[in-house]
Order: sequence, then C-alpha cells, then structure tokens
Amino acid sequence: MRTIYADNNATTQVAPEVYEAMIPFFTVDYFNPSSMYDPARGTANVVADARKRIARRLGAADPKEILFTSCATESNNTAILGAAKANPNRRHVITTAVEHPAVLEVCKDLQRSGYDVTFLPVDGEGNLSLSAFVRALRPDTLLVTVMHANNETGVVFPVEQLSRLTKETDPAIVFHTDATQSVGKLPVDLGGEFRHVDLLSFSGHKLHAPKGVGALYVRRGTRMKPFMIGGHQEESRRAGTENVPYIAGLARALDLAEENREADEARIARLRDRLEQAIEQRIPCVQVNGKHAPRLPNTLNVSCHYVEGEGMLYQLSAEGICASSGSACTSGSLEPSHVLIALGIPFTAVHGSVRFSFSRYNTEEDVDRIIKVFPQIVANLRKLSPYWDNEKNVPRPNAGQESRST
Amino acid sequence: MAWEYSEKTKQLFMAAVHGEPGTHLGEIEDPDGFGEHGSIVCGDAMRFTFRVKRHPTDPAQDVIVEAKYLTFGCTSAIAASEALCIMIEEGGYTPIQALKVQNSDIVKFLGGLPDQKIHCSVMGAEALESAVFNWAQRRGVDLEKLGVDIHAEEQAEGRIVCKCFSLSEPYIRRKIKELNLRTIPETTNAIKAGGACMSCHHVPGGLQDILDDTWGKDKDSLRIVPATNLRSVPGRLVEPVESRSPEQLSLSPYQFSKKVEKAIDQYVRPLLVKDGGDLEIVDIKDALIYCRLGGACAGCAGANQTLKMMVERTLKDMVDQRIRVIAV
Repeated sequence: MRTIYADNNATTQVAPEVYEAMIPFFTVDYFNPSSMYDPARGTANVVADARKRIARRLGAADPKEILFTSCATESNNTAILGAAKANPNRRHVITTAVEHPAVLEVCKDLQRSGYDVTFLPVDGEGNLSLSAFVRALRPDTLLVTVMHANNETGVVFPVEQLSRLTKETDPAIVFHTDATQSVGKLPVDLGGEFRHVDLLSFSGHKLHAPKGVGALYVRRGTRMKPFMIGGHQEESRRAGTENVPYIAGLARALDLAEENREADEARIARLRDRLEQAIEQRIPCVQVNGKHAPRLPNTLNVSCHYVEGEGMLYQLSAEGICASSGSACTSGSLEPSHVLIALGIPFTAVHGSVRFSFSRYNTEEDVDRIIKVFPQIVANLRKLSPYWDNEKNVPRPNAGQESRST
Repeated sequence: MAWEYSEKTKQLFMAAVHGEPGTHLGEIEDPDGFGEHGSIVCGDAMRFTFRVKRHPTDPAQDVIVEAKYLTFGCTSAIAASEALCIMIEEGGYTPIQALKVQNSDIVKFLGGLPDQKIHCSVMGAEALESAVFNWAQRRGVDLEKLGVDIHAEEQAEGRIVCKCFSLSEPYIRRKIKELNLRTIPETTNAIKAGGACMSCHHVPGGLQDILDDTWGKDKDSLRIVPATNLRSVPGRLVEPVESRSPEQLSLSPYQFSKKVEKAIDQYVRPLLVKDGGDLEIVDIKDALIYCRLGGACAGCAGANQTLKMMVERTLKDMVDQRIRVIAV
C-alpha cells in the first residue's frame, strides 16, 4: 500500500534537488569553514553563498542579517531570550495564546523569572483583535512575538500590521515572528511588507530541506544577545561549527519553493479545498477550524463532533494515510490542543480534530483516497460513540449537554 | 509519538470499528445493569450495559450472559471496552463476581497498555462497577449486607481536587490505595487526575498532600518546587526606565482623552459622516492616538492618508502639537 503523506506541517519530504545539492559536502568538501587551508575556503564560500541567496529570497538588505541555527526552536529561543537579555530594563512581553510551544513555553519561562507576559486571545476563527493588541502595548514592552501562520489551523496573522503598529508606537520594542509554517508558502518580504519585523524564525524541514537546520533573520541594529555562545561563528552571534551540507540544502530548498511558489500553492490550495468540500458534504456534524480566517493554502483542520481523534488517526494510518490530531490522546498529555481550546471549539469537537496538510508532492489521487476512506472512518467511530444516534445519523438529543462531571 | 499498542489492542480496536461478529459494540435495550463513566469533556466516556440470566429465587446468583458498550475515546479506550465485555461474558460471572475484574486484569488481557493510557482500563473497571450498582438497585440486592464495597456514588460527594477532570477527594484517595499509586505521574496516568492544568499538584489539599497522607511523607525525597511559586507577585509594578513618550503632558490622561474625543466629535467626525464614514478611537497612550476608520471609509485606499493628514492635523491644532495618530 502506497503511503499518502498528508502531514506536511509536521515535517516534509526532502526534495531530491535539495538532497543532490547536499551530497558533495559530506564526503568530499567536508572542511570546517573556519579552517585556514585552501579547501576550507570552498566550504566557507558555500555558506556565504547560501546566506546571500536566502537573504535575497526573503528581501533582507544584508546577508549578515541571516543567522544559521539548528532548527526553528533554537531560532525562537535565541530571538526571545536574546531580546530579553539585551533589554534588561523592560519586563513586558506580548505573545498569543496559540503560539507553537517553542515560543509559548519560552514566554512562560520568562514569566516564571519575573517578566510580565500578555497572551493575546483569538476569536472563534482564530483571528487576533488588532484593538486588543494595541491596548496591550506598554511603555515597558520589550518584545512582541507573534507567529505568522499557525501550525495547527493554518490561520495567518497580520504580521505586516502588527509590526507596523509596534514600531509606530515605539521603535525600541523588538518585533519577532515565528514564520516556520509560512516561509516558502506565503510571500515574505523583509524589505517590503515585513519591513518592521526585526526577527524572523524558520526551519528547513517544513520546506523540503532536512531536519536539523534553521535560520533566524536579525535586522541590522536589533538589540539582542547571543543564545549559543562558545565560538566566533556567525559573527559571534551563534556559536557552533556551520552545518555546511544542511545550510546548502536550506538555500536550495528556499530557491525551489520561491521559484515555484505561486503555481505550487495554487495547486495545493485546490487539493485542500476539494478535500474540505468533500468532507463538509459527506460527513454530518463537522466544522472546519479557521474556515473564515486567512489561512495557509495547504492546511485543513476539521473537527468531527462526538468522536475522538486518535481512533481516526489510527484507522487512517491503517489505510496508509498520515495525518495528525489535536486530540488529547495523541499529545502525550491529557489536555487537548491549546490552539483549539483558544479558538473556543466546543468540547464535543475539540477531541475530534484531524489536521491534513499538503505539499507539492501530494496529488489528486491522494485526495481521492482520503475522500474515499475518511467518511467511513468517522462513521465507524460514531457507531461506537455513546453520543451518536446511529439510526437517525445525528447526535443523541442529550449529547453535549452534560456538565463537566464524571 | 507513535503508537505503542500491543497486537491484541490493535486487533480488538479494528474488529470493533469494523463491527465484526463477536464484538460487543452497542447498548442492550432494557438492560439489567447500566453504568457510565467519564465524559466527553475529559476525552473519553463509556456506557456499559449487561443482561443477566435471572436466578429464580436469589437475585444475587444472577449470571451475566451478555455485555455491550458504547465508548467515546481513543484506540485503547475502545479496545479496553471490548476486553471488558469479553472477560465478563467468558467468565460466566454473577455481577458480584464480575466486580473482581480489575483494571489490571484488563491491562493484562490487552497484553499491556502504555503508561499514559492506563486510565482507559480504569474507565472500564469504573463503568462496570457503576453497572453492578445499578443492577443491585433494580434487583433489590443489598450489596452492603453482602459485604460488597461499592463506590459508584462517591464521586457526587466530596471536595473536587482535580478540577479539569472533576475528580473528588474520596475517589482519588480510594484509587491511590487500590492501584498503589505512589507518585503524581503514576496518579495522572491511572486516573487522569492532575493531567491537564496541573494546578492541583502541590497546593494544600492537592495530590501531593493526598499521596503524603496515604503513604506517609518521604522526608528524604526531594520535593519538587512547583514552578508557579517562582512567579513574581501579580500586579507588581514594573517601573519603565526609559520613557519613550514626549515630555509629560500637562493634562491628566483622563482630561487629555476627553479633549481628544471632543475635538474628534466637533471637527473630524462630522466631515467623515458626511461621506458615510466614521472614526473609532481604539486606544490613547500618552500622545499616541490609535484610530480606526469605519463605515464607508473602512478599507478605502486613501484611508490612512485621511487619518494622517486630516485627523492628526486637526488634533495637533486643537489639542497638542505632540500628538501622533496611528491607524489600526
């Protein structure tokens, strides 16, 4: 059975072109870019060239503004902790309730060490309120960290406006965005619409480069201290020997994504939309989370009322289909997704969410296959559910009316 | 986190969702015993029903002949429900004998469960117990007199310790003893208590206190200080050292905002309303006025220009030269 991979917000297949671009730097040009002999100049040039290409693709003014890291989590830690460290007189941070844990947990850690953190709520579609954002800005605000696109729902935040409002209020506030899910999928122009963004994180493995490489854009003049110390690499802003093959791969992956972005994303959006419509037509009592918000073209997050997500994933997996869920049972904790809770998804549906996320390697046949099996998978579990009336194929009259008691 | 289920668990789950013959999906109409445990809020819930072959004279000797379930929950919750029904039917038990089926028996039948899924087996055992209680009421069997300790009703009473899963102190105390739970992680894995917001872990009367009370306090062990204790005092004022606003405005913030609103009402809004537009003041921070154009002006191409040129100019002239208008 062919595997249908529909979990591209978790990670992606490495593009063959990217793999090709990396090969020489394992066994042939393996030199440390910091070394003095001639062959090492070659690898140093590879890193410099990658930096230049990535800077150009993102609209950065200077290649030096791109720091290479090991992953987006490191980029986020560096951005948030580095900004806090460099601005010790300010003690307030603004973020949102729906950030990835790589931002949310770092902010909570700051909170535990005495910082004041505002976690902005979202509405039922996953949108932020610009008014609430403006009211949260304070004289002692040091950092705003708001993701560009949400990993679970695909909802896109207006980073352009949020960063402008931040800088018009006080240019000394550092603005960071976690763009891990959007780089390569949405236009990111740090010289244009994103000209007020100081720090921007992303990683390779969401855009068909390998796991283990990421980047942090640091606008010239931004006050921040390094997170990784112990070496002079990256102009002493991120210590550690450069991961030459992966850096070469990251640059190739971003080139590929940007060269084909409009065509690829239009095609991917059609796949997603077709699946979304089919699910809405064929399965009763479903809701598409973030349906009316601006969304990534590749992401579909649906909640099926009265069933539990893990049982759906397990059956999908038995059909060779890879997807993910915000259900508590799949998270390793007992709490369902903090993102869906922040959206106020009713508790009859929050455990029954499934996320399908596509990439350029998905096909119409993939969608056909999901459409063929998914409605039956939901029906199978509803047959077992004490909240579903199988004769009428509707929820039981009392379902969801119980109070929160055992 | 990939699935670490036993073959037996996977097989029972797939058989159940495909409704294969011999599976126990469903609800017995007019059952002799009816029990529920869990709720959709917690992420799993089970309805368990059974039918007995009635003993002509002594109801206590009724024998369970059929058991069914409806379960909302994950793969292992459904497999545990199947397992429970199979064990009950194959055992040929009286309802009182059936109470001997413990969650550990269900785990054993399934060939093991991952630690964080143990609560699925506990749900089965609790639903069974509640169904037996229900059978006893229907059949007029006095369980207490027979020396059977039944707890199905205790959940309704007692102080709630774990608010996320609505678990009461008597229930948690009993389960800690029954299942020999020694630590908070063990307690969470078995009965979910403390598994979501975690705020009940180290508060007075919380999980650690109940554990200490049950097993005695281990004085040598390191107490983990909950991170929340390190949080600064809420409401503590943080003095901003750099002040970024222009010099202190001479008016109080209240007087200032009133003056801004008045100027907008008198000079700005009438002009906008004439064209079907409107203006909302979102916030005022010192001399920064955050505004949003509404009505016909919202989203119009010249909106920001209008704000900057017209509104800011007017407010500068009428209120204070230091004012800046920011479009939201």
